[in-house]
Amino acid sequence: MSAAANSIKTRSLSGQLIGGVLLAELLCAALFSALAFGHEMQGRRRAFDVMLRGRADSLMGAVQDAEDPEDNVTVDPTELVLPAQDVYEVLSPTGRVLGHSPGSSADQFAALSSLHTPGYFNFRAGRVHYRAVRFEGVRVIDREEHGGYRRTVTVIYASPTRDLWHGAMEAVRFYVLAGALLLAATGIVLVWFLRRRLSPLQELAAIASRVSTRSWEFVPPAAVLRASELAPIALSMEELLKGLQLAFERQRHLTGDAAHELKTSITVLKSSLQLLSMMPRTVEEYAAGLEGLLLDSERLEEVVSRMLTLARLEEAPVEETASCDLQTVVRRVSERLQPLAELKQVVLLEDCDGEACFVALPAGDADVLCSNLVVNALQHSSPKGCVSVSVQAHGAVTELRIKDQGEGIPESALPHVFERFYRADHSRSRASGGAGLGLSICKAIVERCGGTIQIQSVLGTGAEVTVTLPALPTSARL
Amino acid sequence: MRVLVVEDEVRLANNIAEALRECCGFAVDCAGNGRDGAAMTEFKHYDLLLLDLMLPGQDGLSIVRQVRRRKDMTPILILTARDQPAQVVELLNAGADDYLTKPFDLGELLARAKALIRRGKGVTQPVLTVGRISLNTVEQTVRCAGELIDLSPTEYRLLEYLIFRPRAIVSARELLEHLYDYNWQHHSNVIEAHISNLRKKLRAVGEETTIVTLRGRGYRLEAPEQQQ
Repeated sequence: MSAAANSIKTRSLSGQLIGGVLLAELLCAALFSALAFGHEMQGRRRAFDVMLRGRADSLMGAVQDAEDPEDNVTVDPTELVLPAQDVYEVLSPTGRVLGHSPGSSADQFAALSSLHTPGYFNFRAGRVHYRAVRFEGVRVIDREEHGGYRRTVTVIYASPTRDLWHGAMEAVRFYVLAGALLLAATGIVLVWFLRRRLSPLQELAAIASRVSTRSWEFVPPAAVLRASELAPIALSMEELLKGLQLAFERQRHLTGDAAHELKTSITVLKSSLQLLSMMPRTVEEYAAGLEGLLLDSERLEEVVSRMLTLARLEEAPVEETASCDLQTVVRRVSERLQPLAELKQVVLLEDCDGEACFVALPAGDADVLCSNLVVNALQHSSPKGCVSVSVQAHGAVTELRIKDQGEGIPESALPHVFERFYRADHSRSRASGGAGLGLSICKAIVERCGGTIQIQSVLGTGAEVTVTLPALPTSARL
Repeated sequence: MRVLVVEDEVRLANNIAEALRECCGFAVDCAGNGRDGAAMTEFKHYDLLLLDLMLPGQDGLSIVRQVRRRKDMTPILILTARDQPAQVVELLNAGADDYLTKPFDLGELLARAKALIRRGKGVTQPVLTVGRISLNTVEQTVRCAGELIDLSPTEYRLLEYLIFRPRAIVSARELLEHLYDYNWQHHSNVIEAHISNLRKKLRAVGEETTIVTLRGRGYRLEAPEQQQ
């Protein structure tokens, strides 16, 4: 892995997923526990209030005649069985304390009677939390003697809420424990499940990381192809890598072919020189040797110049404004190649009588295109054969045809003839001096201006090259 | 010695052939494509095969395999413009004896050719000796007890071929096949004339080693008994 990739902190996708889901589960469990606790507390508080009221009522029942001249009432708690930690007071309407819990402190009573509205309330005395009820009640006493006295009293009764909390906590603890257990169990299952389900992702990453410029092998495993999210990635990677590998191989072949071609030419040159200098020779032998050397160096020069032409065609930007008349170019080329045709005893015919056909090619490129194709046709023609060149305008395209009556091209070789350094029959082309670049150059020239080049051939009867180039409209002609 | 050069680059093939003829005195045949080359190896006339690797028709590697399948022991030197180690290994494993990468030095090619022919005939040194005669294959000279014997190129080639196989009977046909290329008209009485000249020249320097004619069977280079 590169240093740049190392500097980025990586995080595991499955780790994040598992963390997220576990967090959500934890929140759920916490919320559930809180709700359960709240619900439990509410029920218990209601029961507590009822209990509080009940105890207060029983305290009310303990209010009795004080047996004093003012017919006052009093409370005798000794008759009641009330929890010792409870705090209570019974007050007369004037605020006089009629009775109170025996073991309570002044602080507790102060807190107890601090609120004057009837109803339930909470307070704190020292460290202890209390819940209290305050209500006014009417107590009829001495009912048998005087039809009874109605005495209004206020009862304030408080009980510590500690037990209430403890009870609720006790009840909810079960839910909390069960929740935690479930959380742990689902967490483990989740980790296992996600690991298992996400394994294709890891496989894909492992296979992808093995790909390099030396090893192009990328075969996505079946598990990856079954995952609908991963299959498109894997397939497009496979496609891309195959294409890249092909391009790399083509490039390597090309470099190898170019090197082979150059080395061969240099070997010929070198061996000719060494042969000549191996022993003393006559002037005539030297002259003949030098002539051969000149031919060898011309051959090397041609190979190099063709390679450079091809490189220029593929690298240099297209000239937008270039244009030339294909008719003129063909006429010029066929005039120039007439001597070669005569040497080969081949009739070279050109049919360029129509009006000018302008195409978007620099004149130099058009010349190279035509002469390459015509020379090719001449070289593959047998004596007394005929090579015909024609240029015709067909609306938006201009068509250039070069036809020969040579030995033709085998069907198996047809798809390859435009490949660089390809030779249908090595020995023949070598003897005729080609480096296997002529047709590649033609193709590059034609494709640069958006044209097409095709070759048809029947073995034994000849070959026909058809070039179609987009014709320039009259207004664009320069 | 006769060498087959299979090379599609005509100029190169001619240069190699010329160098082998001029500097080593070998008879050389050239084949311009793999098919012709493979067909020519079947005659077993050759003391060395020089093959280009990339050939039209049939490539050098398959010719090597074909030759070795026939149990033909002829030394093979490969010429290649590509020198990837894997390819070299494949070549040597297929049965080639040596290889040279283009562009090579013509002098090195000749030296390797001679060395391969020597080794093909079970000799490790460039100087071969029978009796008092010593033949230097590098200088292409023959000496008798240190004294130079003046031989014509054909006489030298005859003696060179025979000295590689001392005491063995070599037929006139074999000599014809291994000393002349296809461009030469075959006449077996030419061999007899050269042998006769060679005998005279050896006798002239007082050498007792001689070439015996075994009628109907061939020739044999014989050294005197006491010197063996």
